[in-house]
Amino acid sequence: MNLIDQVEQLFIQDKIDIFLGYKALDGHLLPHGFTRDRMEELKALQVSEGRYSLEKIATHLTEKHPDIRIGMIARECNLRTLNLLYTWKQLNPENIETINISCCPSPLKPHSDCSYLEPKQTGAYKKTHGIDFNADPDTFLDDFNNKNRFSRWMYEFNKCIKCYGCRNICPVCFCDECSLEHASLVEPGTLPVDVPIFHLIRATHMAGRCIDCGLCEDACPMDIPLRLLYRQVNAIVSDIFDYRPGNGTDQSPFTIIGEKTVLEPKPMDAQLEGEKEYGL
Amino acid sequence: MDCKFVPAVCSYCGTGCGVLFEVIDGKINATLPMKSHPVNHGKLCIKGWNLHEYINSYMRLKTPLIKEDGRFQKATWDEAIGHAAVKFNQIKDQFGPDAIGVLVSAKITNEENYLAQKFTRAVIGTNNVDHCARL
Repeated sequence: MNLIDQVEQLFIQDKIDIFLGYKALDGHLLPHGFTRDRMEELKALQVSEGRYSLEKIATHLTEKHPDIRIGMIARECNLRTLNLLYTWKQLNPENIETINISCCPSPLKPHSDCSYLEPKQTGAYKKTHGIDFNADPDTFLDDFNNKNRFSRWMYEFNKCIKCYGCRNICPVCFCDECSLEHASLVEPGTLPVDVPIFHLIRATHMAGRCIDCGLCEDACPMDIPLRLLYRQVNAIVSDIFDYRPGNGTDQSPFTIIGEKTVLEPKPMDAQLEGEKEYGL
Repeated sequence: MDCKFVPAVCSYCGTGCGVLFEVIDGKINATLPMKSHPVNHGKLCIKGWNLHEYINSYMRLKTPLIKEDGRFQKATWDEAIGHAAVKFNQIKDQFGPDAIGVLVSAKITNEENYLAQKFTRAVIGTNNVDHCARL
């Protein structure tokens, strides 16, 4: 059964209210929400090589309509994200239907539906002064000494134009308040951004959360190798807690505060509240 | 319930990055970079990422305003354009065409810029026309 028939069945069996897939518009494959009211549009449903965060769209839809049942095209990275969003109670697994598509080429399917098949190219200057996109996180620490690594990371971080694209595109960035917008951590309205603090704040918040989809690196206008950074952070989480974000719907080791916290421990605000209370 | 994605060009500067508006129930909810756009290849700056904020801002002008008795009053487009034409003619008659200058912008299209300089030279009759990219 092909993709379009599968989606049609989901609508006929009344399992979903909206299906998130891709549709061509003026030669661009763009995400689109297919609904029952406009079933004729389904003929145009496609899989796209370019990846948009359909899960993030699903969380936006769920914010507006809490009981909406959503279907979506899902690759492995999408599935990992969904698992993580279930873990943090941002989406209800009962309201999500996925149609899994392959993202790896195989003898049966030479075409793959992912823009990531070709490894990113790293230029010569970046190789000598910065960090190779394709550096192996396992050997990276051994390949360069401390000083060298620091200067390479600083070269990368110094390019940052503070666009917040890495946070905006991130499917697992869903906090109500973002530390990167907290005036006492990141000074608002100034450039250049405080390095490496800005990137390290985000990196620590990606611990136990980043599902390694690579969208942030794709969206970074300055080609900062964010994926490698978050992989390193998550290697620590995986070593200590044996937890790999998105691998299942097990509770994250970072949900220590209890069932109810939806990533809202906000220690910074707690401190501010305290300051107000004691008139500091 | 409705969710669609509308491609557009960022209105902030002359680069012309492709953006995608996430429209939920008829309201722009978020801005995304367009992955397949030849100009920006799925990347945006902070202004482009926040296009939806000003579109939905309550402070946004939705009608032309004419200043009367020291206060801005809502007006129709015909009234506003008519008012501007009358005032331009007054200035031109009293002080000559060189009393008027036109500044155009990188945010508008090449054709609109062409029209603006044509308007300045042929209609107003002055060479006082300049462009923000020439600063």
